[in-house]
Amino acid sequence: MRTFLLILLFSSMLLLESSCVGLRQINELAIVTAVGIDTGNKPGTVKLSAQIIRPADARGQTGAPAGGTGQPIYSISAEGNTIFDAIRNLGRFSSRRVYWAHNFMIVLSESYARQGIRDMVDFFTRNHELRMNTWVAVTSDKPDELISTITGIEVVPGEAVDKLFRNNQVVGLAPGSNMMNLEEALLSTSAQPVVARLQLQPRGISNKKPEEHGSLKQVELAGAAVFREDKMIGWLTPKEARAALFFLEKLESGIEVINCPNNENRRLTLEFKNAHMSVKSFYENEKPRFQIRLKSAADIVESGCNVPVEQLRDAADASLEKLMKQRIENVLDKAQKQHHSDFLKLGDIFRNKYPQEWKRVGKDWNQIFAEAKFEIETNVDVKSAVVKAAGDGIK
Amino acid sequence: MSSIQELLKGAFKPSVKENAAVLDQILGNSADVQKRDFLLCGKAGSPGLLCFMDGLADTTLVEAIVRALVVTGSQLNREPAELATAESIRTSLLFNATVKDCPNVREGINGILSGDTLVVVEGLDQALLVSTRGWKDRGVEEPSSENNVRGPRDGFMESIRTNTAHVRRRIKDPMLRFESMVIGTRSQTDVNIAYISDLVKEGLVDEVKSRLNRIKIDSVMESGYIEELIEDAPLSMFNTVQSTERPDKVASALLEGRVAIFIDNTPVVLIVPTFFWQYIQAPDDYYNRYWVGTFFRIVRYFAFLISLMLPSVYVMLVSFHHEMIPTSLALTIASGREVVPFPVLLEALIMELAFELMREAGLRMPKPIGQAVSIVGSLIIGQAAVQAGLVSPFMVIIVAITGISSFAIPSYSSSLAIRMFRFPLMIASGFLGLLGFSTMFFALLLHALSIRSFGESYLAPASPYRPTDQRDTMLRLPMWMLDERPGFAQDVDRMGDNQMPATPLQKGE
Repeated sequence: MRTFLLILLFSSMLLLESSCVGLRQINELAIVTAVGIDTGNKPGTVKLSAQIIRPADARGQTGAPAGGTGQPIYSISAEGNTIFDAIRNLGRFSSRRVYWAHNFMIVLSESYARQGIRDMVDFFTRNHELRMNTWVAVTSDKPDELISTITGIEVVPGEAVDKLFRNNQVVGLAPGSNMMNLEEALLSTSAQPVVARLQLQPRGISNKKPEEHGSLKQVELAGAAVFREDKMIGWLTPKEARAALFFLEKLESGIEVINCPNNENRRLTLEFKNAHMSVKSFYENEKPRFQIRLKSAADIVESGCNVPVEQLRDAADASLEKLMKQRIENVLDKAQKQHHSDFLKLGDIFRNKYPQEWKRVGKDWNQIFAEAKFEIETNVDVKSAVVKAAGDGIK
Repeated sequence: MSSIQELLKGAFKPSVKENAAVLDQILGNSADVQKRDFLLCGKAGSPGLLCFMDGLADTTLVEAIVRALVVTGSQLNREPAELATAESIRTSLLFNATVKDCPNVREGINGILSGDTLVVVEGLDQALLVSTRGWKDRGVEEPSSENNVRGPRDGFMESIRTNTAHVRRRIKDPMLRFESMVIGTRSQTDVNIAYISDLVKEGLVDEVKSRLNRIKIDSVMESGYIEELIEDAPLSMFNTVQSTERPDKVASALLEGRVAIFIDNTPVVLIVPTFFWQYIQAPDDYYNRYWVGTFFRIVRYFAFLISLMLPSVYVMLVSFHHEMIPTSLALTIASGREVVPFPVLLEALIMELAFELMREAGLRMPKPIGQAVSIVGSLIIGQAAVQAGLVSPFMVIIVAITGISSFAIPSYSSSLAIRMFRFPLMIASGFLGLLGFSTMFFALLLHALSIRSFGESYLAPASPYRPTDQRDTMLRLPMWMLDERPGFAQDVDRMGDNQMPATPLQKGE
């Protein structure tokens, strides 16, 4: 009995001994949902802006009146010599402790990305509070403006952009770049990073003033930024980004618009499905060669051609094949000729097949990649079986 | 007092007057002691005396004794001289069902105090003890703490004989034995140990008897007295003795080779040995089809986990591990907590205590008022406290789910134990987060693993793992698969082979 009571006493004292280390109530945190990084006003400094949720306004009135501005987010920015310095300086404005574990995305300004992102990647992977599945994007706008814009249907704008990234395969115009694959590409010698592009576009229509078209800015996810090592070197257009997605994320579907085979002024919309790209690499005469095959099925989803499907099929096959091939050629050209950066991760494929050779040529992959040859073959099969009365002869 | 003890040790004397004096001295002049004198066979030469307790003895049975001794004796023209021994009166005159000779005073007094009638006749050196027990009983009712939908509705009541009869009616096996003993120096409470002699775990009956014989106490008011004096882990919050109000539970426990302890004056019967998982099993599991039984048993396991851990997990997540909550949920919780002035641990403790308060108040109040208490309580706690910003709506939900879950555990006494375990878990996780929670949980687990109930591991058959007993632990497999008793029974075979029913083949198939 005595020992029992002693154990009880000591264990309860042990609990007090901990003095609640690490205790932070959830309502004492400033939960960050998006962070923007820009170059500071003074050279060599970093300007960091954070989108912080105001829970009471983001979730409406639960229980007692919470009061507030009605705005779901509270955005602040701070400057510092390094990212962490800037984060600590955020504390000058934020009444609550800034909490990063629920961060959805990191938005880099073009100027910051062009200076090099190694610092940023180091900080965001080193810190235990930050997650590796945070989205990373580059913007040509001001990041602080972008993250403080109310966008999307979601109450919290960060969540809206998170959904954009999650559904990036639907539109298929930007890569779903997160911290994990960014760091992977940065550490790899056989691949270069490519990061999605976010932009502000005046596409939102105000309910109060619908006549002022596009008076509200919305965040658009389209295109990508290409890096060489840790420095950004240029942009990809949305269409180029789509071609890159075949290489990077095994894009399966998307839509393409082509001209009607019978009428140049009318349009035929095709949705390609079950696209499958296979890339094979060869090493001949000290030069790499890549055989790229894209095989895909497609459906006619909108036709202005006014002829039955059977008459369209072959022509549609051919023109979509041509279009796809051109897209792939374009992006390969960008990677090889313009940016000299193997962001399509062809180096990975080469290294996997020729590990011995890679030991020799890996160091100079960028030069060798510039001399690589490509054979591109696309094969599209329009399988649309939609029995839709179309064309004069059928009605 | 010593003279009374000596008197109790003595034997009855041939003189009625002397015996009456002894009875007077021992029983005093208690208001409920009734004495009735009579003349055996109506003859003046042989007076006699009946002594019984008013209220305990059935007066019609007492009247029958008098009629037999006086009227029948004289009608048959019997002579008192022929009836000179207690045996001759018993065998040739009395027609009451249970009559026994009673040589010493102690036995006679005990009989009187239990509702029997003591008969002394002039010239006999023995008294007769006629069973006339019959008092006002509560009728057999549905057990109030263990309800079911399908299955028998009778419950135990306060009379031990009725209770044993309930079980005997269910098991008409000559091997079902009830062994009687008396506990309580003053209360002289009847205690019966029930077991099926060719099934019961070997040595168990002796162990139960020796533990019961150890008890030296003045009175036993309820089976809880016995439970606390025989259990294996007296310091533990776990109860290692099962208690039930249901005769079918007792009968099935006996058929599994366990021992039941009946105690007079209480509708609660004890069953040993006990396993932890039994508290989560209900008779309905067996009476309904096995799909339903298994499903609801799993639901109850969840209820057990929720009622034990949900508040602690909530406290731990909200005050330490915010990254483990999905973002949208974190926002919802944070917005609800925005105006709450207390830390989560305190909020949880306040709400849990408020809930226990309501439960206790609802239980203690007279029944019609009990409902009013719960309405007022739920309105105040659920609505006003949230609106006033004292507690967050999420905490109300957590406490409500926890409360409902704890009511889903069939055994009320063990649901109380689980409810108490919640508090150390909650405090540990409020101080140290996941670390504290897991430490405390592990300590609980180690403790539960360390205790035994009458020689059986408390967490069996999960630990030590017994593969054959798994058929009826987490799951309730179909009846035709439950062909074995638990391993400790003497005879584990309870069913023939191939009991699975099937549609008979048609002719020609």
